[in-house]
Amino acid sequence: MSYCVNCGVELDGSLQECPLCETPVINPNAVPFDKVSSPFPKNVGMVEEVKRQDLAILVTVALCSIAATCGLLNALVFEGYLWSLAIIGACVLLWVILIPVLIYRKQSVYISLFYNGCATVLYLYLLTYLVGSDLWFIRLGLPIVVFLTIVCEIWAFCFTKLPQSFLTRALYFFTGVAVICGGLEVLIDNYLSGPISIDWSAIVITVCVIVDAVIITTLSLKRLRNAVRKRLHF
Amino acid sequence: MQIEHKDWYKLDLSAIVYPTLQRRDFSSVYRLSVLLKEEIQPDILQKAVDMALPRFPTYKAAIRTGVFWRYLEPNNRPGPFVQKDVKNQCQPMHFKGNNRYLIRFYYYRNRIALEAHHSLGDGTGGMCVLLTVTATYLRLLGAEIENGGFVLDINEAPAPGELEDAYMKYANSKVCPPRPQEKTYRVRGTKEPFYTMNIINGVMSVAEVMAVAKKYNATITEYLNAVLIYALHEKQLADKRLSLRPVKIAMPVNLRRFFPSITLRNFITMIYPGIDPRLGDYTFEDIVVQVHNFMQYHINKNLLRGDITTNAATQRNAFIRVVPLFVKDYVVRMFYTKVQDKNSSAGLTNMGAMKVPKGMEEYIERFDIYMGQPFSTRTNCAIISFGDIMTINFGSGIVEADVERNFFRKLVKDGIHVKIESNRTYSQEGK
Repeated sequence: MSYCVNCGVELDGSLQECPLCETPVINPNAVPFDKVSSPFPKNVGMVEEVKRQDLAILVTVALCSIAATCGLLNALVFEGYLWSLAIIGACVLLWVILIPVLIYRKQSVYISLFYNGCATVLYLYLLTYLVGSDLWFIRLGLPIVVFLTIVCEIWAFCFTKLPQSFLTRALYFFTGVAVICGGLEVLIDNYLSGPISIDWSAIVITVCVIVDAVIITTLSLKRLRNAVRKRLHF
Repeated sequence: MQIEHKDWYKLDLSAIVYPTLQRRDFSSVYRLSVLLKEEIQPDILQKAVDMALPRFPTYKAAIRTGVFWRYLEPNNRPGPFVQKDVKNQCQPMHFKGNNRYLIRFYYYRNRIALEAHHSLGDGTGGMCVLLTVTATYLRLLGAEIENGGFVLDINEAPAPGELEDAYMKYANSKVCPPRPQEKTYRVRGTKEPFYTMNIINGVMSVAEVMAVAKKYNATITEYLNAVLIYALHEKQLADKRLSLRPVKIAMPVNLRRFFPSITLRNFITMIYPGIDPRLGDYTFEDIVVQVHNFMQYHINKNLLRGDITTNAATQRNAFIRVVPLFVKDYVVRMFYTKVQDKNSSAGLTNMGAMKVPKGMEEYIERFDIYMGQPFSTRTNCAIISFGDIMTINFGSGIVEADVERNFFRKLVKDGIHVKIESNRTYSQEGK
């Protein structure tokens, strides 16, 4: 039997160090640790995943019913214009967004974002039938959705694969905001057929660049980083 | 014999709170285990569970959600199945997982463990389930064990008193004393990753602890409470905080000792012994006197009755009763997080000395009890004894073991021989 030299407690034969003070057990006369079985099992249990099939079925049936009844109402009763396309498109969009929540929880975030982008494009395309023109869709709606999907994919990569801390997350966030604002203004200018210029987004980009510069400086200097962490911890 | 069951059961007064605290990474799950003298045979244990569990309809149940309250419903799905024990005990228990059972049975070497959600019942009820299953298991192996105490007759129908909400029966004082609402010292620590529960068990002799407690003119519970307060107080001083906070322990009191009830559901209330270091310095002797006087004053039938009446008043309030469940959930969770959880620096429960029926004693080595994963970053301490073996089980979700270290070092300093067991792993903490 071994005792902790700091705490004075007897230690179970399987313990390599005192769990109270982390002092290693050095006892040449004791049976080796790996030959003594621990009172605790080694295998780690996993929390059981809760199946959400019932809710998934309920939501799918509800959305299908809404889409079908609206389609029928549009076809048989309120026949003026294709208003049901807006509702059918919204149902499809909502269902696609809910796939990773209710139906397939292991779906990769990149795939989810891609599907969401496709569903949004489809929704906007359906709306072109409603308004009778597809110019806005081709020159504004589609480029914006594609652009936002790409930015979100890059964000997802940054937030999951790159180093994570309060400061790095802030860096990813502000850089993304600057890119989105700049990109949106360029695409809107392009649609309005005016000269492509950076006006309002320049203010946002300036602020974001200043914040990013501060963050990058803080990240590159360990001493400064520790000082900020000490003063801003919460 | 066919046991008749009701269609559903209302949750008792305590049980209402626990489901509202349910998070992805937290469930109010406690664990009781018994160490036998021989290796467990899982197939026989499964048979024993299948035979004994129908005797406990409120444990062979699933929790369901109504419009205004949750309720328990008999669960006839297959299970619960005995499983090999795991290192990370008291894992979250999702209401829809595990075939909707809110109990789990584990075995490891010579240990049988029961994990139960607190919304089913308290430690006393859980111990009845565990010991009845264990007695059935031993009988299947040929032991002759009488019924009595925690071992119930599995061929008998459950008595109505076992299934009752005893709180509502005895919550009848004329006034409702206010609840304690004071922010206390909180142990800060590095949170362990999902889902880790660090366990440190201290095994010692009851006679030695009793002799030391007697030296301080205190009972074992008072003495161990004082040691935990002392450990937390030392930790607070070592933290070098700008302002000190009161150090208080949340200690459940088994109300069956004061009100005649045989309920297997929750029937406990909390008391909060502690010290306020802002008033001045406390020696360990001062802490023992403080805890002793607190217990003497607070643990009596009338004050406890007042306490449960205060708790019952909210459930009896007509306005509260008609508020939809999701609103209640939100309010209760907020109250618990902002007020109740901050009322105490740690939890401590003492199940006391376990008594088993004739013929069973020779098969049992010792018991363990865990209060489960704490709701916030702190440590919980649970004590149980059998024969001359006392086990003090700490469970926490933080890396640091400062409180446990202070606690056991104080026991050693007082001359108690302590043997430590732990599930902590090494070389993970940046060493």
